[in-house]
Amino acid sequence: MTDSVYPPSEDSYLLRDAAVGEVRRDDTVLEVGTGSGFVAKALADEARTVVATDISNEAVRAARERGVSAVRTDLVAALDARFDLVIFNPPYLPDDDTTPDDAMADALGGGETGREVAERFLDTVPRVLAPDGRILLVTSSLSGVEAFEEREGYEAERVASERYFFEEVVVLRMRPTP
Amino acid sequence: MKKDLMELLCCPVCKGELELDATREEDGEVVEGTLYCEDCDETYAVDDGIPDLLPPEAR
Repeated sequence: MTDSVYPPSEDSYLLRDAAVGEVRRDDTVLEVGTGSGFVAKALADEARTVVATDISNEAVRAARERGVSAVRTDLVAALDARFDLVIFNPPYLPDDDTTPDDAMADALGGGETGREVAERFLDTVPRVLAPDGRILLVTSSLSGVEAFEEREGYEAERVASERYFFEEVVVLRMRPTP
Repeated sequence: MKKDLMELLCCPVCKGELELDATREEDGEVVEGTLYCEDCDETYAVDDGIPDLLPPEAR
C-alpha cells in the first residue's frame, strides 16, 4: 500500500463492525470511497455481492489486491444498479490553509465544512439505492453529526459511535424518506 | 473485473450502457480491455482488472 491510500484506522473498524451487523446474506452491497478495501473485504463473505469504488487510482489498486471488486469512479457516478446497502466513510476533516493538494488530502478532507463530499454523496446515492435500501455513513463531531441527522430527504439513526481523544465518530444508518 | 460486473456499470456521464471489449482475460476475469459508450463516443480503460470510469476531464 502506498502512503497516499488511507490505511485502516479506528473509524474503519467502527464502520466494519457496524456493517457486519447490518448486512444481510442476500444483499448487494456497495462501498463508496473504499480506500484500502479493508471494510469491503470484511463484507465479502457476508453478502451476495460486494462492489467498491474510489476516485483514487492507488486506492482501487490496493482494494483489488485485497480481492475486492473495485471500480475507479467518482462516488457512484459509473454505477447503474439497485444496491441494498451502501456504505461510505467519507473524508470529513474541514480543509484549512495548511491543507496540501495531494491524494492523502483528498482522502481526509471534506471541503470547508468537512461535509461537502458526504453531501454530494447523499445528493446522488438515491439513484443507485434499492427501494428498501439502507446507507451507513460515517460522521464526526469535527464536521457535525446533527447536520446529517436533520438533513432533509433522509431519516437517520445512530447505530455506532466511539469517542476518540479529539472527536466522536458516529455511524448513521440513513434511508431516503418516502 | 469479472464480466458480470458489467451488469452494475454504466457510463459515468450519460448513465448509458457500456460495451465491453476484452483484450486480455485470465481465470475468467477481464484484465485488460476497454469500455465504450456509444452515446458519448467515449472509451474507458480496463487496466490491471480495474475499470477506470473517470470522465475524460477528470483524468
